[in-house]
Amino acid sequence: MRAVGLIDPITSTIMSTSVSMYPKKLQNIIDLFEHLPEVERRETLVAYSDSAPKQEPRPNEKFDLEDVRKDEECADKVGVYLQVDDEGKAHLRMTLGPEVQTLTRAMTSILCKGLEGATPQEILDLPSDFVTRIVGAELVRVRSQTTYYVLTRIKGICKVYLDRRRAAA
Amino acid sequence: MKTNPTEYAHPEALVDAAWLEQHANDKDVRIVESNEDILLYDTGHIPGAVHIDWRADLQDPVIRDYIAPDKFAELCSRNGITPETTCVFYGDKANWWACYALWAFRLFGHKKVKILNGGRDKWKAEGRKMTREVPKYPRTTYPVPARRMDKEIRAFADEALAQSQAKKPLIDVRSPGEYKGEITHMAEYPQEGVLRGGHIPSAKSVPWKTATNDDNTFKSAAELRKIYLEGAGVKPDVDTIVYCRIGERSSHTWFVLTYLLGLDNVRNYDGSWTEWGNKVGAPIERSA
Repeated sequence: MRAVGLIDPITSTIMSTSVSMYPKKLQNIIDLFEHLPEVERRETLVAYSDSAPKQEPRPNEKFDLEDVRKDEECADKVGVYLQVDDEGKAHLRMTLGPEVQTLTRAMTSILCKGLEGATPQEILDLPSDFVTRIVGAELVRVRSQTTYYVLTRIKGICKVYLDRRRAAA
Repeated sequence: MKTNPTEYAHPEALVDAAWLEQHANDKDVRIVESNEDILLYDTGHIPGAVHIDWRADLQDPVIRDYIAPDKFAELCSRNGITPETTCVFYGDKANWWACYALWAFRLFGHKKVKILNGGRDKWKAEGRKMTREVPKYPRTTYPVPARRMDKEIRAFADEALAQSQAKKPLIDVRSPGEYKGEITHMAEYPQEGVLRGGHIPSAKSVPWKTATNDDNTFKSAAELRKIYLEGAGVKPDVDTIVYCRIGERSSHTWFVLTYLLGLDNVRNYDGSWTEWGNKVGAPIERSA
């Protein structure tokens, strides 16, 4: 892996990282989007948006943490549910209110699928630069809060989980 | 109060879903969707509707201004629009962005414009047909407009200042929190970098959504008269300037005052608060 310096758009900090640091499932999604023409990129984002309801919690699923709230950055309530299995791998579910915008719905599906099985620490350490590679610079420019919001929420719940684990240790 | 469209000053500027379904395939009608949600059109739209993105299609990508007349002509030509085409605008958020697109079309002198009353949400709530099929129309040759109607329907900062100093009608259509200076941008929307909060001195606060019913249709002419003429000091014989944050919400109020109440001297200050709140030395009030 080649080490490079990247600026995290959320924290604005310079991170020493590498070009292939993403979980494999997320890397596959990035690779898919990065080579799509703009029209197909939009179509694919809409397809991911369509599958957002599939990321909702299933009946009888149990979670280590649940974080359901309405923030200023998003048009409606967003719920994030985290379950960490015995191997330390994270499983994410999300609920979205009806007013949540299409791009946020798409990012929900992308991140739930792409981060499935990663550890909370891996998720927390994830640089945010991949969002531009998926969504495209133009959409990020016009709706930067929307595009980063879901990732911020997912990182937030992972941080709470890890902080509690450390406090309990 | 039940809305009777014929009471509006220009009832022809509003259409309902039944009218649109009946005229959707008319050769001289083009349905135009314009939304806040930039991918919403792609998820489904009224059959035959074209998509015009308020930022990508109507704004200059470099200078803070609208596109040049030749670019507007190209936009219309590629969407099969001629100067004789009746453009029926609709969109999300109670037609807020649809009114913005309509105002921009008027800026270039396109005369035949209408709004679908209730917009996208009402159409969808009524279970009317939606499609993901993107229509293709034969290209037209839209003549390059000789000029933009900046003077007639657009106001600039110096004109807003003169309006404020003359205590002439100036309507701030942002949320009460933005008007009071408690916040500098609407909740849930990108912060577009404003250094100061408050409002232009003498401006009255009438949030744009005051003009709509719960189903996103426009309120009756009598209710609108009460809100704007009786409540906000708007007068038919005195020119009015409306503003918001970047000129989008105020386009909605501009449409109400111009087409539903029939005032012919309303201008939209599209520089709005993102210009005024950053402008060195611009006077600001923070009164309630």
